[in-house]
Amino acid sequence: MHGKFDDLGRFADPSVLILTSLAGGPKHGYAIMTDVAGFSGVRMEPGTLYGALSRLERRGWVRPLSAGERRRPYEITGAGQEVLAGQVTAMQQIVAVARLRAATGWGA
Amino acid sequence: MRPPLAGWLSRVLVGWHPRRWRQRYGEEMLDVLDQHHPTARTVASLGASALGAHLDPGWRTDRLSLSRLRRAALMSAVIAAPLALLLAPVGYGAWQDDHWHPAADEGLLSVAFSARTAVMVTAFGQAVDGTDVVWDVSDLGRPRRLSQFEGGQPTALSPDGRTVATVAFSGRTALWDVADPRHPAMIATLSVSDGDLLRGQAFSPDGQILAVAYYDRVFLWDVASPARPRLLRSLDLPVTPTPQALAGASDQVPFSPQDIAFSPGGSILAIATGTDQVTLWNVTDPARAYRLATLASPGDLTQALAFSPRGNLLAVLTSDGTVLVYSVADPARPARTATVRGLLARALYPDGQVLCNGCNPASYAVAFSPDGHTLTVVVDREEMNANSGRDTIFDWHVTSSGTLGGATAAGRDVADSQPFITPGDRAVLGSPSDSHAWHAWALP
Repeated sequence: MHGKFDDLGRFADPSVLILTSLAGGPKHGYAIMTDVAGFSGVRMEPGTLYGALSRLERRGWVRPLSAGERRRPYEITGAGQEVLAGQVTAMQQIVAVARLRAATGWGA
Repeated sequence: MRPPLAGWLSRVLVGWHPRRWRQRYGEEMLDVLDQHHPTARTVASLGASALGAHLDPGWRTDRLSLSRLRRAALMSAVIAAPLALLLAPVGYGAWQDDHWHPAADEGLLSVAFSARTAVMVTAFGQAVDGTDVVWDVSDLGRPRRLSQFEGGQPTALSPDGRTVATVAFSGRTALWDVADPRHPAMIATLSVSDGDLLRGQAFSPDGQILAVAYYDRVFLWDVASPARPRLLRSLDLPVTPTPQALAGASDQVPFSPQDIAFSPGGSILAIATGTDQVTLWNVTDPARAYRLATLASPGDLTQALAFSPRGNLLAVLTSDGTVLVYSVADPARPARTATVRGLLARALYPDGQVLCNGCNPASYAVAFSPDGHTLTVVVDREEMNANSGRDTIFDWHVTSSGTLGGATAAGRDVADSQPFITPGDRAVLGSPSDSHAWHAWALP
């Protein structure tokens, strides 16, 4: 179902996808990858995942739940939820404009 | 890439992350790789991640050592090699762009040339809002591409070579600063007459005035400070037929680069007007410019104008292949000194065969030689539905009274496009058939 959008999907911001995934509950790395693939069709690679995860963790938007385990789950923080809400609002605006223009033709 | 190889490479690349990074995420990432089916994409993403982590100051705490340097060099080579293979075609394309204009789906459309700075700006095809390329043409035989910008059709370069006037898709004139030809920058747009049919633009010889000619009006702009152009005067052109009558057939009045010209002294502006007239204007004081004369109807669509170097003669070329020379020594009373008809019929193939029964409309260029003794006309003809363009170059000796001596004609497979005659070291520019490049042919 998502196959058609694979090429577009790779332009989605991995950080937003990860925050969205963790908004549904804590997950470890591989669970995030499968979850993201499930709801967005974006097949995130480990390098991309951990590059984004490390940035999110440094900004305090996600945090690891228990240190020392090989399979470590992450959860979204309060700040991460605020950031995600801001991103969603911006995307909703884009979607609204895109819908309107798609319905009325270019240049409307 | 075979999965075992991708899996092995992926694990190696995890090890190539900075030490602190590995301590924090290494185990987790190996765990993910255990569950993942690594592919070439996995390897590429881990390579990028390792490189990014090494470049990130937050992870860069390890002391520099020879072994680390060696490992970094090896990692760079492993990452760079496949990237080089991937990017090689792109690089080849960029190389091609240096030699062949990328946006060209048709021949050379428009050229602006500064003999003083040996800078030329070109545009191709119907890409009216497309890419302009700036060239160093100090050696026309070996032009160097300096830069490009999205400016629209270039129509005129200021005599000092610092400003190029272009026509954007909107129909507006834009001024681009090419004083540093490697870094063109748009400095102003002239916003009048949107949507009208632009006939041509020309800088005055002192570079202070830009004349922008539309179908039925000419605007004289003070461009002494190109960033702050000031409209000095709008001249209404006598038009036959009316714009309304022409509106339905506007595509039959193509923009032609030589429809407007200042005399070398800068006091007279000649404009092809309507479909079949040429008007002369006194622009000594541009704010009070006034019409001097209307040249007797040459009989067909005016295609090109050129003043002689002394400014005493004006050559006019019409679409039916007629050359007319006027003495404009007294511009209020121009007198025709020469008429040569039938250039189209005399445009020949090398074997003498007359070209042609079913040709597209011809394109023309006209220019006097720098000494004023020779008048050169280039006629470009192209057979309909064929890619066989042919230029015929006519040369006449010009007498002091403005009559034309015996012509020499030479046919060349020069251009499949609008031809241009460059000033100074005179050459004909054009695009050969089926080509996305321009070539220059030296005139004798």
